[in-house]
Amino acid sequence: MHYPWWYVPFLTSPMLIAIISVLHVLVAHYAVGGGLFLAVETQYAYRHNHREYLAYLKEHAWFFILITVVYGAITGIGIWWTIGVASPLATQTLIHIFVFGWAMEYVFFVLEIVSAFLFYYFWGRLDPKTHVRIGWIYAGSAWMSLVLITGITAFMLHSGRWPEERTFWAGFLNPQFVPQVLARTGGAFLLASLYVYLHATFKAKDPALRDLIAARSARPALLGSLLIILGGIGWYLALPESAKAALIAASTLNILVVLIFAVTIAVFFMLYLGPYRNPGWLSPGFAILFFTFGLAAITTGEYIREAVRKPYIIYNVVLGNQIYAEKVSELRRTGYLEGGTWTKAWVSHHYPQVLNAGRIDPARLLALPEEDQVKLGEVLFLYHCNDCHAGRRGFSAVAQLIRGWTPDMVRTVVEHPEKAHFFMPPWAGTPEEAELLTKYLLRIAHPRPAGMYFGEEK
Amino acid sequence: MDPTTLIGPSSPLGYPAPYWFLVAFKVLGFTLHMVPMHIWYAGVLLAMLLQWRGGEVGRQLSRRLMQPMPILIALGINFGIVPLLFTQVAYYKVFYPATILMAWPWVSIIVLLTLAYYGVYIYVAGLRTEGATIARWRQAIGWTTAVFFLLIGFIFSNAFSLMTNVRAWSDLWLRESIGGAPLGTAWNTEDPTLWPRWLMMFSLALTTTAAFIVVDAEWFSARGGTNYRVGTHRIAFAISTIGVIGFAITGSWYVFGTWPEELREKMLQGPLRALTILTALSPGAPWLLILWQWRKGGTRTRAAATALAQFLVLALNAISRQVVQNIELGRFLDVTAEPVRIQWSPLVLFLLLFVIGLGIVAWMLSRLKTLKGIGESG
Repeated sequence: MHYPWWYVPFLTSPMLIAIISVLHVLVAHYAVGGGLFLAVETQYAYRHNHREYLAYLKEHAWFFILITVVYGAITGIGIWWTIGVASPLATQTLIHIFVFGWAMEYVFFVLEIVSAFLFYYFWGRLDPKTHVRIGWIYAGSAWMSLVLITGITAFMLHSGRWPEERTFWAGFLNPQFVPQVLARTGGAFLLASLYVYLHATFKAKDPALRDLIAARSARPALLGSLLIILGGIGWYLALPESAKAALIAASTLNILVVLIFAVTIAVFFMLYLGPYRNPGWLSPGFAILFFTFGLAAITTGEYIREAVRKPYIIYNVVLGNQIYAEKVSELRRTGYLEGGTWTKAWVSHHYPQVLNAGRIDPARLLALPEEDQVKLGEVLFLYHCNDCHAGRRGFSAVAQLIRGWTPDMVRTVVEHPEKAHFFMPPWAGTPEEAELLTKYLLRIAHPRPAGMYFGEEK
Repeated sequence: MDPTTLIGPSSPLGYPAPYWFLVAFKVLGFTLHMVPMHIWYAGVLLAMLLQWRGGEVGRQLSRRLMQPMPILIALGINFGIVPLLFTQVAYYKVFYPATILMAWPWVSIIVLLTLAYYGVYIYVAGLRTEGATIARWRQAIGWTTAVFFLLIGFIFSNAFSLMTNVRAWSDLWLRESIGGAPLGTAWNTEDPTLWPRWLMMFSLALTTTAAFIVVDAEWFSARGGTNYRVGTHRIAFAISTIGVIGFAITGSWYVFGTWPEELREKMLQGPLRALTILTALSPGAPWLLILWQWRKGGTRTRAAATALAQFLVLALNAISRQVVQNIELGRFLDVTAEPVRIQWSPLVLFLLLFVIGLGIVAWMLSRLKTLKGIGESG
């Protein structure tokens, strides 16, 4: 509310974060696990003087750079770009708390970039010992960047002792930190192997070499699956009550949780029976299937992680609609339009008659003509609700959700959304402002679908 | 509308480090970012022009400019993280509103950058497989990439000029919004400072690219031969001259044509006068060094001196830009007056990791000294 709210029709602006985040994590995990794969396997190939394997690894390193250094790096920055415009207060808060976490991550980014390029571009010209060391520098840096960013994203799900202590470490070492590091490390191992299978089945022509790659990459993948399950259990146990409740209450999330566990277990057994026990089974079709399962598991996991955080962006600190949780009661007294920098400016510019001694007088809002009340209701909707709901049509469109509701039903939910659904943020305005929002919602609501039959009553 | 009414309240968390620390890293980071960023910003376009109409030496230079481009882009993007991070810490009150008002162009940078980056890889792959005769479709991609980089620069100039052009916010907002929520489609093109700022940065990028060409010729193109080195010095001098003239014209336009009286007074009088004059004259130093090398022949020492002089030009520019930014914003807010709650242990850990990281980078680079023919690696 301190910043203008970016209106994105149909999707809502936070959905852009979700889209770019999913596109990023599919590669980000590979950037970590793939680095470890290259370090370990290059060391192995040098030790056994396996020239064909070294040639394959060089080819894989090129593929790895093209995917992670370009696409992975830019989409990572893309998330930062998008959260700044779609979720500015939460971004501002995270950056003020964790700026040195990001700055440390930057140091590791630079190490990753330099080591990745040296590793690839000086392949065959560096002595094996130095070459492998540089590979390990990449792998270590990439994993450290995973650890650092996970501390921050885990904080968003459970802020731990931060609200009381307000220190960097109280926020960073939150209850979700260790489980998520475990799960993400597992995800990195697993996904990297699936990328390797996909690449190897198309690029490694020698069946013996393909079998070697299949067998050797099965071990980290199996370990990764176990870490995901272990981290996932830890993640669930360390969830705040509201997140656990959201997970149980939402049928979509129920299905997705079952799906992610089922897919992970299926991948585990496929890995064991396929590449681990019978490396020859690995074919392009099998690799594509594996890869699709891996992407499905990671995507589902990220969706669940985001969804259970509601109504917060940062648990107990910043609400989904860009309000500090601690400010809600004050806004209920003084008014949402008055409390928001841009909403106050909007009202002052368009309706100076509602100002009293420079402040918005809630009583005067209801004295405005009906059309102006609806217009102000729209302002309230966009700033207070549009982070999760589109208007007439689109993502979770409110006009569709309240089809056929009576004015009293709408008014009740507007005044107490957190009581109707515990995963919604509370109303942060005056009763008069709630009335304006109610009028707007009733204006855009679609009628109850016609033709529905319930016995005698139609 | 009073522009200050659109500036939100201070963060209750305060700055995590003293303002001087934040701004020092912002300026240092921006200077480091400018080095590789300038080379791709102007360098890709120059490489396309040289490939098209450059003669034999020009085409050879075009290839040498493009070969290291993937690495330079990766480094430039990474070096850009620090200044943007510290901008968001210290200038959050103006950074977020400005970028939200122009959210679509701002977010489009990611798409443009991804396409441009892959475009560079596709072009460079052609250099390896097709040699001197680059396929037409790859050339088309090269030109498109050059245009994308120019467009990205234009969007950046828009965002950072809009950050300080607080007076324009209300008009842009009221014009392009629904129910008080901006559509994110604003451009700051009515700001008279935008165009000279954008063109000034491009001119400066030409001078950095010229310095890079000289360094590359003397340090890394051992197989290029004398003809190539003489030819590249001539081309570098021409590029540097265009850059310096462009910088002088656009800089004068910026200072005398767009600065408000108050800003001009502060920057041209009193203690800041020396900084302004130094910033204005500094591009002359690398230009003279490049002229000298064109006339008298280049050496590694002279090339290194050119690089150092250019780095100082960029550092002076970054400092002056920071001072101007603070004066422009001073009418609306005081960025130095925020509460400070220093996060000592993460700050010290960051500095420690920064030093260790530099040490590891130095170690990795030191290993390359033992290699033969490093300069030809591209």
